[in-house]
Amino acid sequence: MVTSDQGRPYMTLKTARALTWTYLVLAILAVTWPGILPFARIRPLIFGLPFSMAWIATWVAGCVVVFGLLELVERKHRTEGN
Amino acid sequence: MMERWVWITLVITAYLGITLTIGLLAGQRSTHTVDGYVAADRGFGLLVMYFVTGAMVFSAFAFLGGPGWAYSRGAAAFYILAYGALGMAPFYWIGPRAAGLGRRFGYVTQAQLVVARFPSNNLSALMALLSLIAFVPYITLQMEGAGIVIEAVTDGNVPMWLGALLAYSVVIAYVLVSGAMAVGWTNTFQGIFMLVIAWTLGLYLPQRLYGGIGPMFEQIADAQPELLIPPGLAVDGEPWTWGGFSTSIIVSVVGLTMWPHFFMKAFTARDDDTLRRTVILFPTFQLFLIPVFLIGFSGILFPNQPPSADFILPFMILETQLPALVIGLFCAGALSASMSTGDALLHASASILVEDGAGRYVQIEERNKPRYIKALVLIIGAIAYFLAIVSDLSLVQLLLASYGIVSQFAPTVLAALYWKRANTLGTLAGLLAGTATSVFFWVYPDLRPWDMHEGVLGLIVHIPTLITFTLMTPAQDEAHIHRFFS
Repeated sequence: MVTSDQGRPYMTLKTARALTWTYLVLAILAVTWPGILPFARIRPLIFGLPFSMAWIATWVAGCVVVFGLLELVERKHRTEGN
Repeated sequence: MMERWVWITLVITAYLGITLTIGLLAGQRSTHTVDGYVAADRGFGLLVMYFVTGAMVFSAFAFLGGPGWAYSRGAAAFYILAYGALGMAPFYWIGPRAAGLGRRFGYVTQAQLVVARFPSNNLSALMALLSLIAFVPYITLQMEGAGIVIEAVTDGNVPMWLGALLAYSVVIAYVLVSGAMAVGWTNTFQGIFMLVIAWTLGLYLPQRLYGGIGPMFEQIADAQPELLIPPGLAVDGEPWTWGGFSTSIIVSVVGLTMWPHFFMKAFTARDDDTLRRTVILFPTFQLFLIPVFLIGFSGILFPNQPPSADFILPFMILETQLPALVIGLFCAGALSASMSTGDALLHASASILVEDGAGRYVQIEERNKPRYIKALVLIIGAIAYFLAIVSDLSLVQLLLASYGIVSQFAPTVLAALYWKRANTLGTLAGLLAGTATSVFFWVYPDLRPWDMHEGVLGLIVHIPTLITFTLMTPAQDEAHIHRFFS
């Protein structure tokens, strides 16, 4: 287990990758049938957009966050020579 | 007082002039080798890679077709929004892996990588041929898009054939002179243009016509609620099927990074970090589809109608009486979308024909290759232009079919990179079976179960064929695998 200066464990690479893949699988399920069914609706409008459009856009935007975090964890491991 | 169309033509001319200058200047930075011409000396940083990726993926099809879909098919367009980021994600791993092998062994195309793992001239030629079949209608559509936009905004004073000729003369000039370097730097310029124009217009039109985005959707929801609920409508105006909506997303997710002109851009990145960050940031570019759709939606309750759904974007801009400068800038944005995809396609198809087609059968001297590639850029450009001007072929139909073909490259590439047991015969059998299935269901769409996309049906046949034929035949030589995987 890699630990930080304070002795707190970082997330392992394996966990980070598993979480990323989980997100991708969930995202595909969420935007295709049948996962999208509960969200295939107009209201409530989100920032003025139909609910289903905002739902899909949120999963797209989430990719930036998830992959950004994965990259952070990977870089930490690379610089520590793991 | 000069007429409006003259002003617009001046803006377009200025835009084309700037693009040409950037393209020609870019070439001074690259070497006169195959590496330089095809892979930009593997030197692109994050800024260029970000825009190369975004502007290349989003073509005239997204910029003109996207609003057209939102306008005529409503929520069906959301499938275009759904697949981009998810399709790009695997490239976080595939990109650096391919780039590493490219640096070590000198690959510049997708098929070179695959054939290095599965040595077979026939496999190489098959991939080159399929790429070309997928590319030509795609290039033709980009040319048509450019010509149509110019014709529309100049009130027909610059006809479609002339507009397409002008725009693509510029593209061919900078691709001939500067190769991948020109594609990179012009796409950066064009990408910025696309983003700015799309966001500005997409937020402005709903505000101007309906008093805001929310009020616009409230009104559409009252008048035509069926348009706002996925899966939206099919081409014939009937409700689209969930099978069609879902499998269109899946085939696009699988196929996106497998487009050979996209895949080979992995070889142009400076390093692995650049590639990974390009993937991370790609969704921020992709979200420009939101304003693009808003433009289409703003046309739904508009009293007048465009001649066809694909015209909705230029139509809305002309109908709302915007100043000539703005119309000209919009037009440049649409041209950017067309040209930034068209240049990469022309450049890639010529490179692929030389490297993976002819080059596998005839000995071509390395230093002569850029010359042959350039000759082919001209020839393919001429063929596509000819088709754009004269053909009555349904190009959109051909383009949809090409996604089915391109998605079949996915199992092949993944097997090459990650499955040590895979062998040449299995790969070849899988690719042939998958492509044949995909083409079959494209020709007989009524036979598709649950309205599934033919590319997904192709994959359902492809993957078991690949595995079965591989396991029935011997594994590859240990030394060969070691060389590739170490």
